Amino acid sequence: MRHIVVLWLVGLCLASTPVRAHHSFLAEFDPSKPVTLTGPVTKIEWTNPHIFLHIDVKDESGNVTNWAIEMGNPNSLIRLGWTRHAMKVGDVVTVDGSLARDGSNLVNARSVLLDGKKMFAGSSGGTTR
Amino acid sequence: MHTLARILTVTAGIIACGGVTLPAQWRDVPTRGVPMTPAGTPNLEAPAPKLANGKTPDLSGIWDAEKRPCDEARAPLGCIDGQLGIPVGFRNIASDLQDQKDPNDPTPFQPWAEALIKQRMDDFGKDDPNARCLPQPAPRMWPSFHPQKIIHTQDSVTILHEFMRQYRQIFLDGRPLPKDPEPTFQGYSVGKWEGDTLVVETIGYKENWLDGQGRPLTEQARTIERIRRVNYGNLEVETTIDDPKAYTKPWKTRTIKLALLLNTDLLEYICNENEKSSPHMVGPGGAK
Repeated sequence: MRHIVVLWLVGLCLASTPVRAHHSFLAEFDPSKPVTLTGPVTKIEWTNPHIFLHIDVKDESGNVTNWAIEMGNPNSLIRLGWTRHAMKVGDVVTVDGSLARDGSNLVNARSVLLDGKKMFAGSSGGTTR
Repeated sequence: MHTLARILTVTAGIIACGGVTLPAQWRDVPTRGVPMTPAGTPNLEAPAPKLANGKTPDLSGIWDAEKRPCDEARAPLGCIDGQLGIPVGFRNIASDLQDQKDPNDPTPFQPWAEALIKQRMDDFGKDDPNARCLPQPAPRMWPSFHPQKIIHTQDSVTILHEFMRQYRQIFLDGRPLPKDPEPTFQGYSVGKWEGDTLVVETIGYKENWLDGQGRPLTEQARTIERIRRVNYGNLEVETTIDDPKAYTKPWKTRTIKLALLLNTDLLEYICNENEKSSPHMVGPGGAK
């Protein structure tokens, strides 16, 4: 039996102010500073209140910098069918996001692509690996 | 609008909005005792169940706040954090106005409170206690991202919140409110029935934020929540905020609507397990 969720479908297409489950993202990230990063995952923190991916990113000069990618909370993803096994260290991902306001190597993920598939967005579609 | 509540399957509306897609495969243990339609689906518009006395509406169940799908096109940082949608009232508990500085804001602020919320919005909410893993006051718990489980007996309503693994007690045994309670995050709550509505009076709050925009709640606050299980699958809560220190007169929050979640349970959420965001919450000023 599939998990049945009852949802209010009120105001379905109304604009929503972007907010996060735990805190205001505008306080931490700057949407006027978008960034795209690609690299192998070095660490996964599948924890509340936020999941963090850490990836190594190589610049034009070959210098490698480790970036932290802040995401949503695991509970929402678990309810959509994702698990802590969805991604593993060594996977090469491409992250679209926005830079942290304080200049640290921290990005909020707008999307995470792995092998062309958008991860952690909507239902897992059975992707659990 | 509660008649719009539906079992969440793939709906054309959701797809059209490009918002939240599908639910949840968290546990498949069926909820027991759910009324069914002739078609064999849960009848969420069946009458609200009663306690063992056969009279009092039973508020028990796992409830999830009404949410709007996060709109990718309008969310500058995307919706990857708002997978299951944005709770209605989470950001602005006073009205449907989402805009940061709406001149039609109906909240009857005292001047200092109006200046404070303006400052909080200008700061992008960087000082929200909730972001530091501190609990919210009771009215702010209803429009939550996370489910909450009500356990209702004759003498009390206990609410288990998934978010931060909190609990709240509402005493129904006829006790009076304490004269001078020690302030707490959730306050001290007693309730009584008016028809099929549970009326909950709460005092003894710590100073806190009522919503994401930062409407203040002070230690002078007294709140009245009117909680009604509209039918089997739907719950509504309207709160009156009576806080003369912050507001010129009592005012009502928007009605927070919650829908029953079937075949699931609460998950663990320990906010301090890995809270790393606070040091980076510098607001519009940039680096600290």
